[in-house]
Amino acid sequence: MEHYNMNLTLKVWRQKNKNAQGNFETLQAKNISSEMSFLEMFDVVNEELINEGKEPVAFDHDCREGICGMCSMHINGRAHGPWDGTTTCQLHMRAFKDGDTITVEPWRAGAFPVLKDLTVDRTAFDRIIEAGGYVSVNTGNAQDANNIPIEKHKADLAFAAAACIGCGACVAACKNSSAMLFVSAKVSQLALLPQGQPEKRTRALNMVAQMDKEGFGSCTNTGACEAECPKEISLTNIARLNREFINAGFTSEK
Amino acid sequence: MKWSQFFNTSIGKKLLVGATGFFLCSFVLVHLAGNLQLLYKDGGKAFNTYAQFMGHNSLIQFLAWGLKIVILLHAFVALQLTISNRAARPVKYQVNPGNQTSSWYSRQMAIMGSILLIFIVVHLAQLWAPFHYSEMPTQSYEGVSEPIKDLYSVTYALFQNPLWVVLYVVGMAALSFHLVHGFKSAFQTFGLNHSKYNGLINFIGIWLFAVAIPIGFAAIPVVIYLNK
Repeated sequence: MEHYNMNLTLKVWRQKNKNAQGNFETLQAKNISSEMSFLEMFDVVNEELINEGKEPVAFDHDCREGICGMCSMHINGRAHGPWDGTTTCQLHMRAFKDGDTITVEPWRAGAFPVLKDLTVDRTAFDRIIEAGGYVSVNTGNAQDANNIPIEKHKADLAFAAAACIGCGACVAACKNSSAMLFVSAKVSQLALLPQGQPEKRTRALNMVAQMDKEGFGSCTNTGACEAECPKEISLTNIARLNREFINAGFTSEK
Repeated sequence: MKWSQFFNTSIGKKLLVGATGFFLCSFVLVHLAGNLQLLYKDGGKAFNTYAQFMGHNSLIQFLAWGLKIVILLHAFVALQLTISNRAARPVKYQVNPGNQTSSWYSRQMAIMGSILLIFIVVHLAQLWAPFHYSEMPTQSYEGVSEPIKDLYSVTYALFQNPLWVVLYVVGMAALSFHLVHGFKSAFQTFGLNHSKYNGLINFIGIWLFAVAIPIGFAAIPVVIYLNK
């Protein structure tokens, strides 16, 4: 693909801290290479802001290779920008053309409060995991992994669910700010495997209860989460979570 | 988790909406089958004897009151969920994805449901309440022992007014959009998402519940109006 440079106008959400009133600020991104990632474009803009003695735009990032789930950003109305199955760090500037105006907003959800500019607090996800996203590990030697038979197809499904990087795009994309795709991936990756069976019921009940407590909305099956998920987690996981939850709710003894 | 807690979770509430929704789907099927008798050119014999039976059979009457409770429960729990879903995003986005990531009708369930609820209230006030609680002209038929209420003619008189015809057609358009998403969505809520059955569920949801049934209902006022 041919390389080109572009000048862009950014409308970026600026917010000093959690309690401050935020607003959109217009910034110019000059001479941006089509081969940069969206985050590298922000690095260039921030470099400029620092040189001018201004506050750089705060945004989350870590691995910059699409696997950590830290980068966020709602770009022109789309979680992680216009490309499917892509995190913001893997979104390249060739998705845009010279003269474009790009609106960049933080994830919007009551459960994900804005900390600064484009950075949000996603610890609600950690608390959902703590509520049940684990398996019991007993003391003693670990047994040989191959002693536990697992059907290949199920292992594949579990692996596909485990691809969830907890980035929060599902919440950001959902009109209800629902975390069902995230919770369903975390429940599914364990529910599909023999190791996940001991806490099967309490896991589904506790993780859903924590999800509600954090203030995420409920799922209305619009499918926006699946469309925006950078790891392309399937809606079939939400159906599995519903089955796990119904099964647990109807049969749990407590 | 106790039952009271279970049905207070987001999924528990969705199960209530889905289960009541399935019951309402079965109702529209039966209701349409009965109402199509309005189009018989028999002076209302088939429809009026059917209405007489439905209005006086105690099992049907028990179900009819249950139906009203189910409609209210469906609307009430869905309203609760809608309010909490709106509250889950206190600050809205400046730019929204529109139809790029989800279908228009899947996002408008509350609006379509509200139009339907208004329609149901008007419909009950126009036809159900007068049939049960006020005087109505009667009609005698051969083979029927005594004169029965002539709901057939009352319905025909109602649909001479184009305003009501339009309202009923709009109501059925809302039913169509509500069910094209609602039917398959309820299956997903109950965890029934399986590659062997999804095709059938989608087919029934679209062609039976979102196309055939709303068109069948809407055809009644339209045909009556056009034949006046």
